[in-house]
Amino acid sequence: MSDYKETPVQFGPDGSLIGIITTPAEGPLAPVACLMLNMGANHRIGPRRINVKLAREMAGRGISCIRMDLAGLGDSGPASGSEHFLTQAVLDLQAAMNLIQTMLGVRRFIVIGLCSGATNGLSLAVADPRVVGLLMFDGYAFPGRRAQLERQFRRALAAPTNPAVIGKTARWLQRKFSAKAAAAAAPHIFEPDPPEVTAAVFRRSMTQVAERNVAVLLFYTGTMHVTDRKRDQLGPFAKEAFTQRFEYRFIGEIDHSLTSMESQRIFMEVVCDWALRVVQGAGVTSTPHAAAATRSGGQLASGRPAVALQRDPVL
Amino acid sequence: MTPMLFGPASRQLFGLFHAPEREGKLAVLICMPLGQEAVRGHRLFRVLADRLARAGVAVLRFDYHGSGDSPGEDTDGDLEGWRRDVCTAHEELRRRTGARRIIWLGARLGATLAVMAAKSGRCDPARLILWDPIVDGARYLETLRAGHVDALERSFCVPDPAWRRQLARDPDAFTQEIFGFGVSPLMRDQLRALAPATLQLTALHETVVLADAEDHAAQQWAAQETARHMPVRTSAFAHPLIWTSDPHPNNAMVPTEALQRLLAAIHE
Repeated sequence: MSDYKETPVQFGPDGSLIGIITTPAEGPLAPVACLMLNMGANHRIGPRRINVKLAREMAGRGISCIRMDLAGLGDSGPASGSEHFLTQAVLDLQAAMNLIQTMLGVRRFIVIGLCSGATNGLSLAVADPRVVGLLMFDGYAFPGRRAQLERQFRRALAAPTNPAVIGKTARWLQRKFSAKAAAAAAPHIFEPDPPEVTAAVFRRSMTQVAERNVAVLLFYTGTMHVTDRKRDQLGPFAKEAFTQRFEYRFIGEIDHSLTSMESQRIFMEVVCDWALRVVQGAGVTSTPHAAAATRSGGQLASGRPAVALQRDPVL
Repeated sequence: MTPMLFGPASRQLFGLFHAPEREGKLAVLICMPLGQEAVRGHRLFRVLADRLARAGVAVLRFDYHGSGDSPGEDTDGDLEGWRRDVCTAHEELRRRTGARRIIWLGARLGATLAVMAAKSGRCDPARLILWDPIVDGARYLETLRAGHVDALERSFCVPDPAWRRQLARDPDAFTQEIFGFGVSPLMRDQLRALAPATLQLTALHETVVLADAEDHAAQQWAAQETARHMPVRTSAFAHPLIWTSDPHPNNAMVPTEALQRLLAAIHE
């Protein structure tokens, strides 16, 4: 028998949002539920079906989840209004929270944002106090000059013996000198904000999130760099007071799209470990919380304790 | 559009039913590709289903067991089980649409499963539309595992050169995790055993094969079935969709030519 139960749902003001709620098959629910949303243009199952796998793993540990398509993505209908897409994403995610609150009685939430989903997750965390945890996977990154030079150096060093790096370099040059190639590879649907605007938004939003004591995990992969020394992806923000409150992990052995099963296993272990700590840190000592921890034996699948010290492992 | 779980309790499937918005006589069962190709094709088939529903065609899209939102692990999937899933979905669509003629539209491995399901005699599609069908499983597996290594190399900042050496040296390398979707040894063996000679149509329904003129395996298979006096037509169909690429707003997620060609094939 499986550890989870799944319920397809249609919700939102006009019932055009589509999602799947995953709950533990039996026993009480953790007092915090998890929201999973689109990564880029992928539909709600996520890259490599990771949202499905993660939701079921979380449900096995007592945490309910909803994986959903934002308006205009996957199976959800287009937005009926004319809000900015970030505002619309917040409204959609709030509709999901309202639904979970009504259906399961859970009133606090973790948002797991992969890539572009991190931006939507941060907007929600700023806008809604029900968010107590935010995971940003390869989201905002501000690598400084040293980190960028080291990245280029390591790639140049690898090139003579690594044909794949030559291919990557050729594609990079193509994008650099061909507007058409650059447009085809552009990750943005719309013109991205200038870097200084993105940095200002990040500072303001993260400061607000830190003041509210939202648990944050900034999680980066081997797509971004080969190594990480001092929270390199945060660049100028690495030493700011507000980022000191956040967890930071860099794991060079996994990639942005979680292409290998090993990447997925590591990703799920890190996320479940963090989510359980957020649940426990939410300050709820009621039966549901205790039961959720007991069901998993207070341990992750790897045998590591569910409650661990915050750390910055650098690989 | 109605999201739902259907099928026997022991093997439920996730599906989306697009109710027809006006009177009509047709229903379409979409047999999706698998793995990364299903992720890539998701938006196209959703838009296609919307268009069909507006034109009065009922549509059912569904995820095979162990894929998409359906219950089951990646590695629970195999061709035989998925063939049965096609019939389960057909029965669900029949239950919802009554006397409408049901057309199956299968893409990639979904097209292959449609042929297998139709041959089983357990369900009665009026017509099969097969888009880029996989008829040579061994070659398909080779393409997929090479694509997997390419995806790894593209994704990592500095890829591991050992991946490509492993790909060349070991024929089983990367066959258990193609594009990040788990594949069981049983499924791998079934894929390798899939050959044009093992994939046969029946004379009970008409079949249309939409495949690139350069897809020699599909073209030859269709010719072979024509030689067996099966009612099959082949239509050359080139499109820009790269089945294993990531969904991306800038790489034609819903190519117009594909959408129009599929709509035309269904309505003809």
